[in-house]
This record gives sequence, structure tokens and C-alpha cells, in this order.
Amino acid sequence: MSDRGLRIKDLRASVAGKQILNGIDLIVEPGKVHALMGPNGSGKSTLAFAMTGHPNYEVLGGSVTLDGEELLGLPPDKRAKAGLFLSFQYPAAIPGVSVANFIRTARQSVNPTDLPPAKFRKMIFEKLDVLDMDSAFLSRSVNDGFSGGEKKRLEMLQLAILNPKYAVLDETDSGLDVDALESVGKSVSAMRETGEGKETGFLIITHYPRILQHIKADVVHIMMDGRIVKTGGPELANEIEREGYDKIREEVAGGVA
Amino acid sequence: MASLSLDPVGISSETLELLLAGASPAFGATARRSALAAYEALPFPTASYGRYWKHDLHKIDLTHVVTGAAPATGFAAPEIFTRDARSAQIACIDGVVAIELSDALRARGVIVTDLATARRDHASLLEAALGTTVNASADKYAALALAFQNVGAFVYVPAGVAVDHPIVIRYAAVANDAFPYTVISAGENARVTVIEQLVTGEAPRFICGIAEIVVGTRARVDYAIVQSANIQSKTMIARGATVGSDAVVRIGLAELGSALTVDTLKALEHAPGGHTDVAGLFFATGDQHVDLSTQVDHAVGSTTSNTIIKSAASDRGQARYLGNIRIRKSAHGSDSSLRDDVLLLSETAHVDSIPALEIAANDVKAFHGATVGAIDAEQLFYLMSRGVPRIEAERLIALGFFEPAIAQFPTETLRAHLREALEAKVTAQ
Repeated sequence: MSDRGLRIKDLRASVAGKQILNGIDLIVEPGKVHALMGPNGSGKSTLAFAMTGHPNYEVLGGSVTLDGEELLGLPPDKRAKAGLFLSFQYPAAIPGVSVANFIRTARQSVNPTDLPPAKFRKMIFEKLDVLDMDSAFLSRSVNDGFSGGEKKRLEMLQLAILNPKYAVLDETDSGLDVDALESVGKSVSAMRETGEGKETGFLIITHYPRILQHIKADVVHIMMDGRIVKTGGPELANEIEREGYDKIREEVAGGVA
Repeated sequence: MASLSLDPVGISSETLELLLAGASPAFGATARRSALAAYEALPFPTASYGRYWKHDLHKIDLTHVVTGAAPATGFAAPEIFTRDARSAQIACIDGVVAIELSDALRARGVIVTDLATARRDHASLLEAALGTTVNASADKYAALALAFQNVGAFVYVPAGVAVDHPIVIRYAAVANDAFPYTVISAGENARVTVIEQLVTGEAPRFICGIAEIVVGTRARVDYAIVQSANIQSKTMIARGATVGSDAVVRIGLAELGSALTVDTLKALEHAPGGHTDVAGLFFATGDQHVDLSTQVDHAVGSTTSNTIIKSAASDRGQARYLGNIRIRKSAHGSDSSLRDDVLLLSETAHVDSIPALEIAANDVKAFHGATVGAIDAEQLFYLMSRGVPRIEAERLIALGFFEPAIAQFPTETLRAHLREALEAKVTAQ
């Protein structure tokens, strides 16, 4: 039991030769929602990419374990199979590959001994429904010509269908209108309320606290300059909402001085 | 080495007689000899572009060309259209012709026959189209094709007739080399889809042919070819199309097989309102070489065209695509586009992509876009982050890359066949 959780320990990483993460320590427990907040450039997305194994991000040290399994060093597909999911801020378009084909391939890759086609189909339609997505979506090319909202809905559809042990949502709220944000919130809630997704731990990366009105966080972390500088309860998000990041920056600077 | 060249000294009169004996009666000896003279007189295509031209075309050794062998028996040509309804078919396995054509279509004046029969029974209809889109005295390989033409098909759809399902032309070069000559002629307001399939048996074959498509006023012709000769064969085809007033021609070229493929298409838009779609795809794997050229020639105004070419190369595959849009001085108001994308899947693969717009008129729209690149790292990471292993992710991306060209081919069965064939090539890497 003790090693359960998505455990990030002293993670340091660089991109294009520049060190961005300066030692991140963070534990997301199964079934819990952690929010990771911070100003632009604080390293939030770098953390997401370093954990998932993006080839442009070089890990300099530390570890990331998922229920005890070390992820660092594994190719991205193996990390997904271990149970990690990243909802991309800017998901890539893949012309000529249909959403249906992509989702089927992904589900089979993550869970090869799986649902018969009819059940899988039924499942997709249920999830589409929760996200207010039309089934015409399935025959379109992945993210190709999608609006910002459509891209995020597709990320949420994949999240619901892949049902990972731990999900990192990178700026899922950015560029979303109120309706789309509500769909995202509904989808995550639906997932968490069903037996299947109950145990999924979430790390919600966001600049603004807005998304946390739709997905309630148990723990809020504040990140600045590649470090977690403050951790607290949901009230921390409200504090950011009221006062922005400057106050915390002052606090941290004061603390160091 | 003289014996390796096509120089007259390299081809004995005996060999020549043998080759001519294997020819069909569609063309007389005089026409063939003058075509052969043209072949000998015309220069070889040169290697002026890039480092592509490694297969030396000079070394096509006609003394090894086989046209007089007994036709293969019991050859089962891969049947890729079994699930599709077809309106007619002509199969030429070596020189043996089998024709399927319903009485109903016959009664409406539709002709599907071999070239020799067409020459005998429908001379004036054939003459009206023959040689109008490909000039065999000016094109070296077309001249060669005409000199030794031994198989062929004539598809004629009279004015006002719409043929419901595809007409399938199947050429199989099994025991003999093939010099196929296809002529498709559609009268005013006619509608027809023609699918041409070119296959071989196990033995390496030399295939050198001509295809001509004449599209009458307001007619529409869909013409798709799938070349899947074995990978020791050499295939060279000269294709031409003329597009009548307010007519549409849609051409799909899938060059999948052969060690060496040279495919040259010239479409001429010589009447207002004409429209040409060209979709081409090839995937040079192993040691394959592909040389594809397409030209759409807008001779008059108010003509339109779209060309989309998707090509990939892996292993030591080498290829060249030469894409030309020609807009003549008189072609005001024409609207054309040329889209050409290359996917390189290995360090040793090479594709020269040479698109060209030749614009002599002022008031025209001409779009051109080209890309050359490897598999996109962000696309790959995205798929892998969903649990898809690298090889599978690359396969998905590569197949998706071809999809815009595949979508232009006329039937779902054909599209499915192309996807399978391309998938096999990706998987074989």
C-alpha cells in the first residue's frame, strides 16, 4: 500500500539545455484530485512532459513512480500502459487517422484483453453523450481542423475511455468557453462517480482557478521557478483567485530571505 | 556494351522479328517499325534532377524481352474487386483475352474489347481516339510500347450513356512481357469509371505501355490504375487525357509494385469548363525506384484542375515526382492546384519532389504546396502517450498521410485495397 500513488521525487529536468524543473516533490494518491497552479513559465507543462516522456525533455535526476513502478526511462507508450494519462494543452493533429480508429487502437494498446466491439461501441457513445459530442466526431481525423473546445473534448473522451490510474490535465481549461468547461467537469465527475474511475488520481495543471469550480481539488500546490513553493487545501486556489500570484511570490521571497 | 543497349546493333533482326511476331494485329508492321525507329532516335530521359536516377534506363535489354512464350495457364490474378459490382471486364492474361459485357450494355453501344478486335470491328471509333493524347513519335517509351504492343483494351461509352458500375481492365504479365495499350473514349454526356489493374506472376517482367483517355463534352470519366507488378519488374507507362468542354476526368494512379516504375501523365484541358483531378500515390520500399510525372495543361480559360500526390519512401527506396501545371497564354480564368507531400521513413530513402507552375496567362488562380519530411515527432509522441507502441504509431501516421490521395480513388473496395497494400509496405519495413 505504501508505494501506491503517483510519486514524483526530486524531479529535475531541462528542455533545450535549460533547466526548468529544480527538484519537484509531489504525491498524488489514488482517487484524489491535486491541483498544480502557477504563473506562466513556472514549469508546469515541463513537469507534465517530463513525466510522460516527451523526447525534447531531458530528465536530469529524480524519480517518478506509479504505484511503485519507475516510469523514468520507459518510452511514452509503456508509461501509458502503466496507467499514466496526459491531457495535452495543444494536442497534435493527425491527418488521415480517424478518431474512432485512434481511440480503438489506444484502448487496445492500454488494455489488450478488452471489451468486445459491441460493448466498446456502446461505451464510446455513452462517453460522447456526457461530453455533448456528436458521433460524427468519430469519423473525423484526429484534431485535424478541430476548434480549441473540440480538441479538449476529445482529450476528455480519451481520458474517459482509457480510464488511467493517474491523469494529468495540462491547462484543460485554457481556451474553453463556459459550456465546454462544464462538459469537461461533467465528464471527469462522471468518471470519478463510476466504480471504474473512482480510484483515478488527478493532477490538474492550471493557471486560473476556474476549472476547480467544476472539479473540486483535495490539495492545491503552487509552483514557481521549477519548484513547489506552497501546498494547501482548496482555499489556496481561492487565495490565488483573489490576490493573484504576486502575494505568494513575496511570501516565498520573504521566506528565503 | 552494345549488347546491353537498345542500339540497333544490340537487337538482332531475329529478336526483332520475334518481338513483332508476339505483337497483336492492332498495328501494322509499318507503324511498328516506324515507332521502333522513333524509339531508337529519341534520347533517353536524363538524370538531370538530383541523385535519383540510379536505375540506368539505357540498360533495358530488349534481347531479353519475352513476347512469344505460351500464355500462362491457371494463373490466378489477385482479384481485388470481388466485393464490388462491375459493369464489365476485360482480362488479358498474357495475350489471352476474356471479356465480360452484358447484352444490355452492348445494346446501348458500350464497347469493351481488345485492341485488335477494336481495330477490326470499330475502326473509326478507335481511330478517333488513338494517338490523340499520347504522341508515340515524341515519347521514347510510348514509341517502344507502340512498336511491340501485344495487349490492349478499348473502352467506348457512347453519348448519353452512363455506366453504373466500374469497367475493370486487368492486365497480367505472367509468362510474357507486356506492352499494353489502353484506350478509353467517352462520348458527350457519357459517364464511366474504369479501373485498370496491372499484375505479374512471380517472374520479373518488362511492362511498357500507353493509356489514352478521351473525355467528350460534359462527359465524366473516372480512371484509376493500380500497378502491383512483382518487385523485380520494370514498368513504364505513358498516359494521356484530353478533357472536353464542361467535362470531368478524375485520374488515380497507385504505383505500388515494380523495381522500377516510370509513369508519365499528361492531361490536356483544351475546352472551356473542363476539370481534371489527379491523385497519385506511391511508396518506394526496399530497392524500389519510382519516377512519376504529372502534367495538367490548361490550354484555354475557364478550366480547372486539382493534383494531389502523396508519396513515401523507406529502406533504400528512391523516387522522383515531377509535377507540372501549365497555364498557357490563352488560359485566362483557369484555376489549378498542385499539392505534393513526401514522407521519408529512412535515412537511406530519397525522394526528389519537383513541382513546377508554368504560367503564361495573367488572370489565373494557381495554388502550389509541397512538403518533404520524416514522421512528425509531436504526432508520434501524442500517439505513444496513449499507449500506442512506436511501430504501430508510425504505421498509423504513415497510412493517415496517404489518406487524402486514397480518398480520391473511385470505389470503397479499391480504397480498402490501397490501404491494405500500403499497410503491408509500412509493416514490411
